[in-house]
Amino acid sequence: MKKSTIYLIIAAVVVIFGFYGCNQYNSMVSEDENVSRAWSDVETQYQRRADLIPNLVNTVKGYAAHESETLQAVVEARTKATQITIDPENLTPEKLAEYQAAQGEVSQALGRLLAITENYPDLKANEQFSELQAQLEGTENRIAESRRLFNEAAQKYNVTVRSFPNNIFANLFGFAVKGNFKADAGAEKAPTVEF
Amino acid sequence: MRTFLSSLKTLISSTRLIALVLLLCAEHICSVPHLLAATYTPDNLPIPYLQDKTQYVSNPDDILSRTTVDSLNLWLGQMEASHGVQTVLAVVERIEGGEAYDFSMALGRKYGIGSKEQNTGLIIVLATEDRAYYILTGRGLEGTLPDAICKRIENRQMLPYLREGEWDEAMLNTVRAITQYVDGDDSLVGSSDFDDEDDVAALIAFVVCMLLGLGLIFFGIWYDNYKKSYCPSCHQHKMKKISGYTTKNRLLGIRSHHDTYRCTNCFFTKEVHWDENINSGSGGAAAGGALGGSFFGRGGGFGGGSFGGGSFGGGGAGGHF
Repeated sequence: MKKSTIYLIIAAVVVIFGFYGCNQYNSMVSEDENVSRAWSDVETQYQRRADLIPNLVNTVKGYAAHESETLQAVVEARTKATQITIDPENLTPEKLAEYQAAQGEVSQALGRLLAITENYPDLKANEQFSELQAQLEGTENRIAESRRLFNEAAQKYNVTVRSFPNNIFANLFGFAVKGNFKADAGAEKAPTVEF
Repeated sequence: MRTFLSSLKTLISSTRLIALVLLLCAEHICSVPHLLAATYTPDNLPIPYLQDKTQYVSNPDDILSRTTVDSLNLWLGQMEASHGVQTVLAVVERIEGGEAYDFSMALGRKYGIGSKEQNTGLIIVLATEDRAYYILTGRGLEGTLPDAICKRIENRQMLPYLREGEWDEAMLNTVRAITQYVDGDDSLVGSSDFDDEDDVAALIAFVVCMLLGLGLIFFGIWYDNYKKSYCPSCHQHKMKKISGYTTKNRLLGIRSHHDTYRCTNCFFTKEVHWDENINSGSGGAAAGGALGGSFFGRGGGFGGGSFGGGSFGGGGAGGHF
């Protein structure tokens, strides 16, 4: 075999590999973009819940002023959770776990608040409260749905990034594995009501 | 001996197979009553809309009366035509899991109710035995029907009747209230493409009928000529018209043709006389086309609907009663 033929074969292999790499890079970019979009939707829905809380707290306060401890817990959890935001570029599993834990605190505090409202028939009968509660439930549903969609996108992306030979390109171009939401630790058991 | 053994083996294995099939059949038969027990899943809930796009209500357990279903279908049809809100309203006894929200979301995911552009799908589910209800709004409808408004409609229009078991009243009042909110939102664009689709179908049917009619006429002319070119002497289609004249009889309303044909093969000559009715036109094709077109067009009105691929983010409200 002539030397030039060998060079030609090597060049062809490099070109094919290069084309393949470009192709994989592009698909990783689009999947990364999908994850970012799904993440911004998750944050929007959590923000929506955070925006509802002051209104809810004020309404409950009007009927159950001496439950200040529970009300305070909700407000504090909300403040803590809204301080944590994640840049879509930086969706590491650790960051996401931290975010989820903070939002989980809010969910639990809200759960306790809604549990004590059961003791106030006047509050339960209030239409404004009923509608606020519906908004809160709808928002929780939206959060669950956006989290589901985010997990789907993240899983698709992770499979692409981690499978061979894409992992070579992913390392080369800096596509890191994204975190995803785990089932909430508090979700399995209903919030305990203490009398 | 060996062949006997192997055939015995086949026999045994085939008996096993038959037994397995019988077992499977038995299992299947046993599971049928379970299906008939009216616990609906998003997969087995009948969606009449897919067969007939004027039917928005799924009422497989006959909980709603016929007149209620008709009224609901009418209102929901108007809502789709004027504001593009595509609805599925399901009233059943039991749903799988007993949670109307999960059921509605699964329905929305499965069928993609609502247009893709506006995302204005709407799903209303009532399970009377599970005592669960939900109004699920598509992503594009969350502004028109916020969760609080859905809850208000349920609190005021649905719950009082549900508690009394007046399913008809509950659904009628709910849909009436929803249409008021939807009518108040001018940003929602009606799905007039609905009617357009019908028009296009009618036009296509018309053109096809027209072409078919014209084709028939041309075929008739060709066949007529082909028949005339037959030579009785040499049995070949080589006769050609060499001369001819026509006479008109206005009294009888006929035109008489006197044609002379000669065979190019054997030079056999024959004369042909035929009469033509002057009063008959050849508008048959056009008339046929128009008739066919209108027939197909009308048929399209009762055709099956299709869902546009709208998505649901989890908006809406519901509960138990």
